[in-house]
Amino acid sequence: MAKFVTIGERLSTTAPAVNKAFTERDPEPILKRAKQQLDAGAVYLDVNIGPAEADGEDLMKWAVQLLQSNFDNVPLALDTSNKKAIEAGISVYNRSKGKPIVNSADASGRIENIDLAAANDAIVIALCNGEGIAKDNDERMGYCQMLLERGMELGMEPTDMWFDPLFLVVKGMQDKQMEILEFIKMLSDMGLNSTGGLSNNSNGMPKHIRPIMDSALVAMAMMQGLTSAIVNPNDLRLMETIKSCDVFKSNTLYADSYLEI
Amino acid sequence: MPFTAKSGKFNAKINTVEVGTGEKAIKLGGENVFPFYTFDDAIENAPKVGIEITDGGMEAEPECVQKLYEGCTTVVDMAKKAVTFDGVDFLSIRLEGGDPNGKNKSTEELIQIVKDVADAVDVPLVVCGCKNVEKDAELLDKAAAALEGKNAMILAAKEENYKTIGASAGLAYKQIVGAESAVDINLAKQLNVLLTQLGVDSKTIVMNAGTAAVGYGFDYVISTLDRVKAAALSQGDATLQMPIITPVASETWTVKESTATEEDMPAWGNLEERGIDMEVETAAAVLAAGSDAVILKHPESVRAIKTMISELI
Amino acid sequence: MALKGLDIFKLSPKKNCKECGSPTCMAFSMKVAQGAVSIDKCPYFSEEAKASLNEATAPPMKTIKVGTGNNEYSLGGETVLFRHEKTFVSRTRYAVTVCSCMDDAAIDAKLAEIQSVDYERIGERMFTEMIYVNYAEAAGKDKYLDLVKKAAAVDRVLILGCEDPEVAAEALALVKDKKPVLNGANASNYEAMSKVATEAGVTLGVSGADIDELYDTLAALEKLGNKNLIFDCGVNSVKEAYKIAVEFRKAAIKDGNRTCGYPSIVRLDRLSQGDKHLQAALLSLFTMKYGSIIVLDQMTYAEANPVYGLRQNLFTDPQKPMKVEPGIYPLNGADENSVCLTTVDFALTYFLVSGELERSGVPCNLIINDAGGLSVLTSWAAGKFSAGTIAKFFAEQDIEGKVKSRKLVIPGKVAVLKGELEAKLPGWEIIIAPREAVQLVKFMKEL
Repeated sequence: MAKFVTIGERLSTTAPAVNKAFTERDPEPILKRAKQQLDAGAVYLDVNIGPAEADGEDLMKWAVQLLQSNFDNVPLALDTSNKKAIEAGISVYNRSKGKPIVNSADASGRIENIDLAAANDAIVIALCNGEGIAKDNDERMGYCQMLLERGMELGMEPTDMWFDPLFLVVKGMQDKQMEILEFIKMLSDMGLNSTGGLSNNSNGMPKHIRPIMDSALVAMAMMQGLTSAIVNPNDLRLMETIKSCDVFKSNTLYADSYLEI
Repeated sequence: MPFTAKSGKFNAKINTVEVGTGEKAIKLGGENVFPFYTFDDAIENAPKVGIEITDGGMEAEPECVQKLYEGCTTVVDMAKKAVTFDGVDFLSIRLEGGDPNGKNKSTEELIQIVKDVADAVDVPLVVCGCKNVEKDAELLDKAAAALEGKNAMILAAKEENYKTIGASAGLAYKQIVGAESAVDINLAKQLNVLLTQLGVDSKTIVMNAGTAAVGYGFDYVISTLDRVKAAALSQGDATLQMPIITPVASETWTVKESTATEEDMPAWGNLEERGIDMEVETAAAVLAAGSDAVILKHPESVRAIKTMISELI
Repeated sequence: MALKGLDIFKLSPKKNCKECGSPTCMAFSMKVAQGAVSIDKCPYFSEEAKASLNEATAPPMKTIKVGTGNNEYSLGGETVLFRHEKTFVSRTRYAVTVCSCMDDAAIDAKLAEIQSVDYERIGERMFTEMIYVNYAEAAGKDKYLDLVKKAAAVDRVLILGCEDPEVAAEALALVKDKKPVLNGANASNYEAMSKVATEAGVTLGVSGADIDELYDTLAALEKLGNKNLIFDCGVNSVKEAYKIAVEFRKAAIKDGNRTCGYPSIVRLDRLSQGDKHLQAALLSLFTMKYGSIIVLDQMTYAEANPVYGLRQNLFTDPQKPMKVEPGIYPLNGADENSVCLTTVDFALTYFLVSGELERSGVPCNLIINDAGGLSVLTSWAAGKFSAGTIAKFFAEQDIEGKVKSRKLVIPGKVAVLKGELEAKLPGWEIIIAPREAVQLVKFMKEL
């Protein structure tokens, strides 16, 4: 089995400092955050430039080239609702360390991002939802099937579609948590890859609680077969948990120093 | 319709480690495919074959080996002769006389032999310790110093003495550091990590992941080597991408198949043939499991294994 | 080729009825493609669809049985490429060649040599299980048929190496009841050879000028309905033979290419070109990577001792320890007065300890306890190698009646047993051995 893939989430326009740096094309804050995440063990970096309707293409190209030239062609997830910006990013993307990830497609308005990924031999994060949150696993599986069929008809390898069950917040939807975990098992039984914004579960919780909840959830989800997650790699407890779970799953070979490498 | 196979080449590859200097220097590793899978991708550096002598000289060798060194009286004579045999890529000198439970030769005496041998030959050198971890720490530290500039392989640093040997061979004298573990894949990995954390360049580490004669718990050897290569290549685990060297002779020439006399075991037939085949078959098996170099004793074994390698590459 | 989930989905009823236990037909199809569930779980697939799919979801490598009675062997049937993934199931079998081109004296000598290696190693009989009987056209048909009869008199599975369908048919008429292998199909004669083999009910060996021709011929034979096949890795070169052996095994197991999913024959009698030590090296290589039958020029004790040890190690179940028979093993000409040593029945312990004791040359009786096949410390920790179990074993085996010596050496790792043993085995002097087997030679000499 392959190692769990962590996608670092800290390059996002939702962070004011990042937003400012993107707008001003200021490399320094971007590179600093990228380095922190990579040093902590992130495999992919998510580049969330927001809707970027005006200058998305130029901005995404700039970000891709900036990050890949500074960090040995680090693999990236291109995260924006602007399709043209994703295409522009892929046009300058170097694949030597891994295919680009299109973040993301869903079963309603953004289903065409599947086509975009297929046409560009990219990985796509496929959200198992349509309009609003799916009410149960039947509905999730229906969306999954729709997305999977579309991708496979276009010649994609099923393993290049990373299905996102959509992690739900515990405060408010505590009773839905096991359902999400069961859905991950269904995806895993089908031989599919999966990912998602894991820390959504702990939204609204006190700051010191969040790493604990996130770590517990990632362990349970990896047991069910989750193959990737979009995370804050600078959460030490979470990263240690992922490394430990990778050992239990024999995704990596144990050595006494496994946390240091 | 012709046969089409999916390529089994990997994105990751084994480190290339150069041993020795000048024209006769050898390169170990560098492959991105399983052993001898040239149909998946070209293998640049064929596995290498070394010949072993010991500080014990002629009298430490089995009769059938002595006969091939006829006329030699000193270890240096033997070293000169050893490198002339067909197929020899490097010379290994095992300092087994240093063992405190055995002959307990002094470090000075043994290092003098190492120096004399190094002066007499121009092939890459491997220096093997006496298997006693305390004595080896002293012996191999001095050997690394004595061979400065030769880019020799020091075999080996173990869990108990890696700090001394790693600091000496790897850092102070810039030799190639052998990292030895006994068929324990987690320890093999850990030792590589510890040596690199000590500051030893990972591109100068070669592993001895443990061995046995075939039939003697060799199942563990197969699985250890198979799993090291799988982790290094298919999981891209950089802490296991060091080439592997396997000392075969020291295991196979002590088992009863290679030592029982013809008088004791008349049905078994010629003793020399039994010794050679035990060595050859063990060496072929460790190469098939992923070793990048083997150390043998009988010149005929060296020739046979070298022939097999050149037939396959 | 392995089926894609989408191909299966297209044939599925698309009802999403969940009767199969999967949430949707797509989910079910993906699981079938991975071999995780059987297509039969769905009650609505048409028979036609099932038939085409069942073929593609069968095991990746066929199990072919050759020989009869005690000499029946299963070849192939492997599901993994490495032994740590899952135990290999079908041991490599070895054959030695005789040829109708040889004179009678040479043939008799070879047949005698084949039978001379026959011994037991950790409960397993080790011998050359097969004879490769090669047809030399120049020597004529009658000589070949005589040779087949002669070889059949030796109790081994025969492999008839013959590319002439008429001669093969006559040879098979003599020995077909013993289920030999007929190795002789190629691109130009496969139809006739397949008929001969099928009528006789025997496995057919197939060769090709190169890997592509071999593959095509196998496919053509499958088309004729013959799936009782073995492929010959050829005699062109060692490199080509290794490529065929490895590529076909990989294609069958990893990629589900069933045309490659047959056992192999490796012709070291031809590939080694008379170099016996090269043959020994290749014998080991092809036992590791993926020879089902290996044909040799010779198998004397020199080749046999190591390769049968290797095979035993390679095919052992990683979960089950190898054990030796408990009892008294006199070494170096020991008699009832010689010193006794005791240890456990874990095969590796036995080999290491007995090897070192033999090197010491000191006569001694090695008493192997029944310790469940575990190592010294493991069995001690599990209570299977304690003062109590040792004393009980001594009583059961009547050790005191069989040996007169009252000196007993115990492993250094269980030195703690000394006091208790002295109490349970009165009259015995308990001596503690060193902790490691390598120190035994010195210890024994000084004892």
